[in-house]
Amino acid sequence: MPEAATGVAMNTIEVRFTGGMLALNRLLMTLQNKRMPVAGFTLGRDGDGMRATILLDCQPESALRYTALISALEDVSEAGPAETIEVAMISTSGDWREAAERSGIEAHEDEGTVVASGASEKVDDFLATLGARDVVRLGPVARPEGGV
Amino acid sequence: MENTAFNIEYKPRTGSEAMCEALLDEGVDYLFGYPGGAIMPFYHALGDYPLKHILTRHEQAAAHAADGYARATGRVGVCVATSGPGATNLVTGLATAQMDSVPLVAITGQVGRPALGKDSFQETNVMGMTLPFTKHSFLVEDPDELYPTMRRAFEIARSGRPGPVLVDVPKDVQFAATNDNGYRRLREAPPPVESPGLERAAMLLRSAKRPLILAGHGVTLGGAEKELRLLAERTGIPVVTTLLGISAFPDDHPLYLGWPGMHGQASVNRAIDRSDLLFAVGMRFDDRITGAAHKFAREAKIIHIDVDPSELGKVIKPTVGIAADAKAAMRSILGHLDAPDESEGCGLWREELAKTQEPERRRKESARDEYGPIQVMEAIKAAAGPDLRLVTDVGQHQMWAAQFFEFTKANSHITSGGLGTMGFALPAAMGVAFAYPEDPVWVIAGDGGIQMNIQELATIRDFGLNIKVAVLNNGYLGMVRQWQQFFHNRRYSETPITGPDYEQLTAAYGLAGRTVSEGADVGVAVRWAQEQEGCTILDFHIDPEANVYPMIPSGMSVNEMIEEDGA
Repeated sequence: MPEAATGVAMNTIEVRFTGGMLALNRLLMTLQNKRMPVAGFTLGRDGDGMRATILLDCQPESALRYTALISALEDVSEAGPAETIEVAMISTSGDWREAAERSGIEAHEDEGTVVASGASEKVDDFLATLGARDVVRLGPVARPEGGV
Repeated sequence: MENTAFNIEYKPRTGSEAMCEALLDEGVDYLFGYPGGAIMPFYHALGDYPLKHILTRHEQAAAHAADGYARATGRVGVCVATSGPGATNLVTGLATAQMDSVPLVAITGQVGRPALGKDSFQETNVMGMTLPFTKHSFLVEDPDELYPTMRRAFEIARSGRPGPVLVDVPKDVQFAATNDNGYRRLREAPPPVESPGLERAAMLLRSAKRPLILAGHGVTLGGAEKELRLLAERTGIPVVTTLLGISAFPDDHPLYLGWPGMHGQASVNRAIDRSDLLFAVGMRFDDRITGAAHKFAREAKIIHIDVDPSELGKVIKPTVGIAADAKAAMRSILGHLDAPDESEGCGLWREELAKTQEPERRRKESARDEYGPIQVMEAIKAAAGPDLRLVTDVGQHQMWAAQFFEFTKANSHITSGGLGTMGFALPAAMGVAFAYPEDPVWVIAGDGGIQMNIQELATIRDFGLNIKVAVLNNGYLGMVRQWQQFFHNRRYSETPITGPDYEQLTAAYGLAGRTVSEGADVGVAVRWAQEQEGCTILDFHIDPEANVYPMIPSGMSVNEMIEEDGA
């Protein structure tokens, strides 16, 4: 049986690895093989190789054990905890810049859509302040290192 | 390129030659394999190097033989196969090695680089296929990377928690010229970790009243048998082992109790249930040990030492978890244990345990006179002597052997524990026999498993291996039949099984065999087998419905244990 989802403990692991598709395949196979409770998975590439940010829905001590397991993969150069954030995309006519500053979140506008991200309770506060009329919430996601 | 001073022409090495040189540089002496189209360049080069190749009759057997060699020696076993079906035939062997943490390097030929991904003849994605049960795998597409990759494969296979590593080499890469002979360590092994848990573990060991040491395969893999013995003797704590931990601690030692689990001794299961401290070292709380994990050792604090940190808390949450090599951890703990008489409560505990073992000892004594598995084991033990190396297959006989043999020599019990691979024993014994040609090697197998790799009798004959085989022949897939008896209302669905006449079969292979059907012949037949030159098979016709007791049904606890008297 896969580990039961807790629904309350989202743990983010950031994994850096080299080896391209074969290494990615091995990582994914490990997640599946060990029945890790993956709630989110994002992948990026930079000069050092590939970077996966994995959201695990489990107790923190299980996440630590899974991190140890992933760290032991030969292709993995680094694996460790990362930040979990909430992302919301909104359409608003309000002053989102001031609301974002007050709530302590990051936000920017892209072709009329405001993309806001930060700790879950801060994003809640931001949305409540703004009274946004059209909101898409992505739920908790991992924040890749250096990204928003 | 030409060296004009000596008029020597330097030719670049081929990939195949680089592979052979890497094997030599790793100190490999035996390779177990089977050639084919995509691995032909390697086999062509092999003849120019002092590497001994053992031609098996099936690639699965090559993997098991390499596995047996690795388990017996602690060195990395090597097997070789061609692409496609050759590679797929290795799969069971790789999975067996992975489950029991056995260091193995499997070399497979692959179709040439231009043919990759085109469903070419004998092309399979062997890397993809084996991802879940290899420690790592390489597809080497750059000839210059062949030598360092091969070296690296060995390093990965034997480091940390050992395991199988696959090196898949396209045919044209084996042919190609290579320039780079350099071997670079890609990642340094992590330095030993000083864990604060070690001192706490020592403290718990000192204060426990009903402690047990539970030793697993990691003790053997880490060469920590001496430290285990020192720890037991210094603390006076009784020792139990997992199935794969058998022979990590001498069976005749007064502190040895036996092994627990589904078919382990009832007294040992109860001892774990009663214990207040479990010092678990080099083991992973397999479900065959714990049964219902939430009911396992409920009164005990758990110290769990394993080289693989991801094992800590996987099944049982430890009070103290230490990610370390068994040998280093026990050495460190020994340093924290000063006086040998500090665990004052242990004496009473040992007396209590000795009393619980008495009925089992009496039952075993009385069973020696009855024709059946115990009598066979006793006869083999007597004929082979203390240097015996026993390789068992999977099933009822495996449990009987583990229960009734006495292993006094370190690492003398070899079996497939985690994967439970029928057909393992005969080829694995070949690896053991190549490693220790002077030692008596016995195989105990059932009449189901022995037929799964019976073709290896030809390999055994070719090399004159002195392997003795005892088939416990009950005309059934016995363990499955036993489960059908207990849990499926005796509906023996597809478990009755026939086999060859082993006397005729051995004769056909140029070997010798005998059939035994009654107790009076057991000792004579075993002594006869032991005295023969080369391989013999003894076919013991035993009670078709003999059962292995005790038995804790899958997923249940010690309180639901089925014992021989129906308890």
